[in-house]
Amino acid sequence: MKKSVKGIIALLILMSTFMIPGTSASAEDGSALQRVQDEGVLVVGTSADFPPFEFYAVVDGERQVVGMDMMIAQKVADDLGVELQIQDIGFDSLLPALEARNVDVVIAGMTPTAERRRSVDFSDIYFQTFQNIMVRAEDQDVYDSIESLSGLTVGVQSGSLQEELANQIPDAQIMSLTDLNDLLLALKTNRIEAIVMQGPNAVAHAENDSDLHTFVGDFELDDDDQGSAIAFRPGEDSLVEAVNESLAEIEEQNLTEEYLAEAGEYMAQTELDEDGEEIEEGFVSSYWEYFWDGTLITLLISALGVIFGLIMGSLLALMRLSKRVLIRFPATAYVEFVRGTPLLIQVMFIYFASGMFFNLPALTAGIIAVSLNSGAYIAEIIRGGINSVNKGQDEAARSLGMSKKQTMRHIVFPQALKNIWPALGNEFITIIKESSIVSVIGVGELIFQTRVVRSISFQGILPLFVTMLIYFVLTYTLTKLLNFYEGRMNHD
Amino acid sequence: MIKVNHLKKSFGKNEVLKDINEEFNQGEVVVVIGPSGSGKSTFLRCLNLLEEPTEGEIVFEGTTLTGLKEKELNQLRQKMGMVFQQFNLFPHKTAKENLTIAPVKSKGISQHEADQKAVQLLRQVGLGDKENAYPSSLSGGQQQRVAIARALAMDPDVMLFDEPTSALDPEMVGEVLKVMKDLAQSGMTMVVVTHEMGFAREVADRVLFMDDGLIVEQGSPEVIFSNPRHERTKDFLSKVL
Ligand SMILES: Nc1ncnc2c1ncn2[C@@H]1O[C@H](COP(=O)(O)OP(=O)(O)OP(=O)(O)O)[C@@H](O)[C@H]1O
Ligand SMILES: [Mg+2]
Repeated sequence: MKKSVKGIIALLILMSTFMIPGTSASAEDGSALQRVQDEGVLVVGTSADFPPFEFYAVVDGERQVVGMDMMIAQKVADDLGVELQIQDIGFDSLLPALEARNVDVVIAGMTPTAERRRSVDFSDIYFQTFQNIMVRAEDQDVYDSIESLSGLTVGVQSGSLQEELANQIPDAQIMSLTDLNDLLLALKTNRIEAIVMQGPNAVAHAENDSDLHTFVGDFELDDDDQGSAIAFRPGEDSLVEAVNESLAEIEEQNLTEEYLAEAGEYMAQTELDEDGEEIEEGFVSSYWEYFWDGTLITLLISALGVIFGLIMGSLLALMRLSKRVLIRFPATAYVEFVRGTPLLIQVMFIYFASGMFFNLPALTAGIIAVSLNSGAYIAEIIRGGINSVNKGQDEAARSLGMSKKQTMRHIVFPQALKNIWPALGNEFITIIKESSIVSVIGVGELIFQTRVVRSISFQGILPLFVTMLIYFVLTYTLTKLLNFYEGRMNHD
Repeated sequence: MIKVNHLKKSFGKNEVLKDINEEFNQGEVVVVIGPSGSGKSTFLRCLNLLEEPTEGEIVFEGTTLTGLKEKELNQLRQKMGMVFQQFNLFPHKTAKENLTIAPVKSKGISQHEADQKAVQLLRQVGLGDKENAYPSSLSGGQQQRVAIARALAMDPDVMLFDEPTSALDPEMVGEVLKVMKDLAQSGMTMVVVTHEMGFAREVADRVLFMDDGLIVEQGSPEVIFSNPRHERTKDFLSKVL
C-alpha cells in the first residue's frame, strides 16, 4: 500500500513536469504573428469590470465588452487583418490564461511592473495613467492630499500597483480587497476613508456617482510603473513588434483621447435605457437580462454537474465496493484527492492546464470541473446508500439466481437511490451555490453577472441583494421539488 | 438430489460446521432442528452457496456447486428456492413485481407470462387480491407467503426454509405453515430449519438434529421425538417440547 502511494505521488510529479512548460522552453521564432494570422483570430483576454478601459454596454441591442482597451484591441486586430475575439476573465486569472494559451494577448489596463515582466513580455506603453484618491463626496473638503489621510484606513485592490503606492500614506492602515466594487461599497459604508485608484477609472466612477469624489494623488511615482501595456507570452517577438506598430499609430494620431471620449458615451448610455431617455428606470428592469443570463448558466452548470456527477459517482462507488484492490484503489485515490482539494483550484487547474493542449471554452472547462468534483462527493453518497441497503436484499436476489449485476441494478441500487435522495438533493443545492466559483475563469454565471452589473450600474448593494434572492428562489424551489418526488418514491 | 460431502465451514477461527455428510432425496421433506448457534442456518446457506464452504463439496443434481463459475452457479441457484426468516421482500416492488423480477431478468421469461404465473401463485398462497400491494402494507404472515410464492415463481426443484415462522406474531404462524404443508403434499423437495415441532412431526419424512456443527442424530419424526438416543437430543427436546 505504502509503495503504491509513493508510486502515485511520483507519477503525479512526473506528469506535472510535462504539463508545466518551463519558461525557457516557450521561446520561439517569428511564428507567433504567423500563427495568429493563419488562424485569423486574435483572442484578447481582459477583465471587464474596469471602466472606462473595459466594461459591458449594450451596443445595437447586444451586450458587449467595450471601452478604450477594446477599441485598441479592435485597431490591433484590424491592422493584423484578423478577427477580434474577446474573453472576459477575472483579473487575477489573466496572466495564467495567457501562459496557458487560453488567450493570445492580455489588454486590461495592465501596468508592466518588474514582477510581471519576469513572467510575460509587454508591448510599448499605450496609455500613461495617473493615480487618484477616491473619497466620499461629503469629505472632499477634509481629504485633499496624502498627508490628510495619515493614520486612516485606506482601501486598495489586492495585488495592484496602488497597493504599493498606499504605503506612501503615513501610518495608513491598508485594507486589500480583490473586487473594486467591494472597495467602493466599503468606502460608502464608512469602513474605509479613501481608496487609492487608477486615475481614469476613479474619474469614471466619480462622474457616475454623486456620493463619490476623486482627486489626483500626490504620490511619488516611478515612471516605469506608470501606464498600461499589452501582455504577451515570452518570446513572441514577431507579434509584439506588429502590435507596437499599431500602438505607435495610435499615439501619433492621438487616438486614445478619441477612444476615451467614446467610452465615456457608452458609460453614460448604461445609465440610460435603449432610447437614450430617462435614467430613472428601475434597477431590475434595466439589468434583468444580466441576472437572467447568469441564472441560466448557473442552472446549466449545476444540472450538468449533477447529471455527470451522478454517472461518475455511481461508477466510482461501484469501483470502491469492488473486492479487487486494482479497481478499488484508483477510485479511492480519486475521491480522496478531489475531496481534499478546493474546487477553486480544480476549476483553475482544468481550465489552464487544458489550455496548454487545446482550446477548451471556459464554460466547458467549468462544467467539467464541477462534474469531476461532484462525482467524488456523489460517489461517497452512493456508496453510503448501497451499504445502507439491508444485506438480506442482496441475498434474496442472489438466491433467486439473479447475477451480481442484475441484483445491483434492479434491487440494491433503486433502494439505495431512495435512501440517498435527500443527500443528493443537498448536493445539488450545494452545487448551485458552489458553481459560482467558475466565475474566476470568466464563465458568465450568476456571480459573474453580478460583478458586471455592479461595475456598470455603480451600485454596490442592490445587485448583491437581487443575486441573493435569485439563489434563494432556486434552492428553495429545488428543495420543494425534491420533497415532492421523495414523497412519490415512498412505498413504505 | 443434493449431496453434501465433508462440508466444513469456519468464520475466522470459529469452526461452525465440522464435517457434515448428508443427502437429500427427490420429494423428501427434511426438517433440521437444534439449539441456537448450532450451525443450522450456516448449513442451509451452504447448500446454495450463499455461504462459501471452507472445505468439502455440495453436489446438486449431479453438478458440483463448490468452485463453480459465477454464471453457472446463478443458473443452478434458480433451481433452489430459499425463504428467509426476515422475508427479505423487495420493498420497492409490488407483490406481483416481487414474483416476476427474477424470472424476467435472469430466466428471460416474457413479462406477460411471468405476470400470469405470479397471479396464479399469489392465489395459491391465498393472496390473490394483493398483487398490487407493496410489502410495507402487508402483515408479516402475508409477506412470508409472498416470499414463498416468489421462490416458487422460479420453478425450483428444491425449497430451503430458514426459520420461516420465527419472526411472525403467533397468530400468523398457522397461515404460513399451511402453505408449507400444501407445498410438501404437492411433492416438493424441502429442507426446513424450524422450531415448529408440530410441523416437523406432521410433515417431515426425516428430522435432523444438529448440535455444535455436527448432525448428531437423525431419523423419522416418530423416532426422534419419542425415542431419541443421544443425550444432547433428549436434552434439547425436553426444553422445546
Ligand atoms: N457471517 C458470520 N460471521 C461470523 N460468524 C458467523 C456468521 N454467521 C454465523 N456465524 C456464527 O456461526 C455460528 C452458527 O450460526 P448459525 O446462524 O448457523 O446458527 P443457527 O443454528 O442458525 O442458530 P439460530 O437458531 O440462532 O438461528 C454462531 O456462533 C454464529 O455466531
Ligand atoms: Mg439460524
